Amino acid sequence: MIKIPTKVLLVDDEQDFVEMLSLRLNEMGEKITVAYSGREGLDTLEKTDIDVVILDIKMPGMDGIETLREIKKKFPLVEVIMLTGHGSTETAVEGMKLGAFDYLMKPADFADLSTKLEAARKRKDEQEERIRKAEVKLLLRRSGDI
Amino acid sequence: MKNIRLLLVDDEDDYRQTLAKRLTKKDITPEQAESGEKALSILEKKKMDIVVLDVKMPGMDGIEVLHHIKKKYPRTEVIFLTGHAATQDGVEGIKTGAFDYLSKPIEFEHLLGKIKQAYDKIEREEEKLRETEFRKKMEQQMMTTERLASLGTLATGVAHEINNPLAIINESAGWLKLILNKEEMAQMPRKQDFEMALNKIEKGVDRAKRITRQLLGFAKKDDFVLAEANLMELANEAVQLINREAANKDIEIVQEMAPNIDTIWSEPYQLRQVLINLLTNAIHATGSGGRITIMLEAVDGEVALTVQDSGHGIPKENLDKIFEPFFSTKSTGEGTGLGLFVTRRIIEKLGGTIEVESLLGRGTSFCIRLPRYCEIKEDLDQDERIRFLDNLAKQSGST
Repeated sequence: MIKIPTKVLLVDDEQDFVEMLSLRLNEMGEKITVAYSGREGLDTLEKTDIDVVILDIKMPGMDGIETLREIKKKFPLVEVIMLTGHGSTETAVEGMKLGAFDYLMKPADFADLSTKLEAARKRKDEQEERIRKAEVKLLLRRSGDI
Repeated sequence: MKNIRLLLVDDEDDYRQTLAKRLTKKDITPEQAESGEKALSILEKKKMDIVVLDVKMPGMDGIEVLHHIKKKYPRTEVIFLTGHAATQDGVEGIKTGAFDYLSKPIEFEHLLGKIKQAYDKIEREEEKLRETEFRKKMEQQMMTTERLASLGTLATGVAHEINNPLAIINESAGWLKLILNKEEMAQMPRKQDFEMALNKIEKGVDRAKRITRQLLGFAKKDDFVLAEANLMELANEAVQLINREAANKDIEIVQEMAPNIDTIWSEPYQLRQVLINLLTNAIHATGSGGRITIMLEAVDGEVALTVQDSGHGIPKENLDKIFEPFFSTKSTGEGTGLGLFVTRRIIEKLGGTIEVESLLGRGTSFCIRLPRYCEIKEDLDQDERIRFLDNLAKQSGST
């Protein structure tokens, strides 16, 4: 079976980390775009089709939570997995209340990350599928009206 | 006046006994001594508040007795009885540390007055002493709190700063491993060496990760994840982890588990950590050929988990301190002094208690009691602070 790559946007100010994790995810067959700040991440989302954002919570400038709010406002269907180097799960929980799919603690276990990435992608696919079906119904009803 | 412990020293029997009788009528029952030597031997056995002391006595005279008393029992007050018009003796007595002197023949009311004054002085000084001790204790507690607060801040900072580079190492090693597994790499020379080294890097990262999480777990309170905990399994896991260390010292680990203990609702990983802490301590305290016993039983609707060793025991004076942060009898670099402190915090957080019993040369046992169903106290620090403040109010109110 051919793996359909998940389109991942990786947002973190730690350049080395971004580089290595994207290499690793690429190697696993995902399609990775990177951004080094929240602002850059949002710009990327405007231009690029993304399934899942892996988002660092602690970043200079626009932090993860703020970025998350913006993402959910402008691109509600995009799933977000929060990354935290911090021990506090509070922020992560706050993130999930704001609509993040899940969170991981740095350094993350790669198997964990893969599982969560997969699940996030699945949720997005299913949601889009539901929307498509609803649209089809809508269309049918309209044409039925005619 | 009733509680005054008074010693009456005079070689004239009649005089002394008369005085004693009159004092007894006033509710002060004095001990009596007919010589300085006798007085000192009474003081050896019994603590006295006040000594009424005749100066002129055969054998050891009053001044000499006074010297001894002030040297050995500085808090005992002495009232001198001097001969008629012998002011010189009285002055010398006061210089040596007597509370005051009275010239014979004395007026009884006068003596009574002096005794009362001396006793007041003793009470004042005792209060001062209590206050000083209380303040010292408070200062120590505050220092501990401050030290903990700064440790918490430091721990969080360190953990965060280290987690990031750790994540980079982790991803890099993981990526290399992925590449090594590609078909094109199948024929790579010395591939196994690379794999071995990469595995070691990943293991190292795992270890460092555990440490930073522990540090954060110490600083933070909300990382408890409650779940079903099988204490028997947890004990087995903990034993496996420290088994090699025990085997090196030829220590036998015995498990005496009551079979009817079901799982409890608690925090399995923290409990395992507690067991590891206690077992590690037990191994360090136990000489080769010793024995460590882990016991699990049901008691009054709770479970009791005991770790007992046949080690060198804990001296009495240390028993109060072992749960304090940074208290360690291990040499610097070996013990952090945090093990038992963290252990107790975990247990208390899980609604349990931990107690220690120890006999020097015979061994030590730590007994943990845990509820079968744990409800986490939301803000332990706050509870502790309130308890501390309550105690403070009580103590300052009683002095």
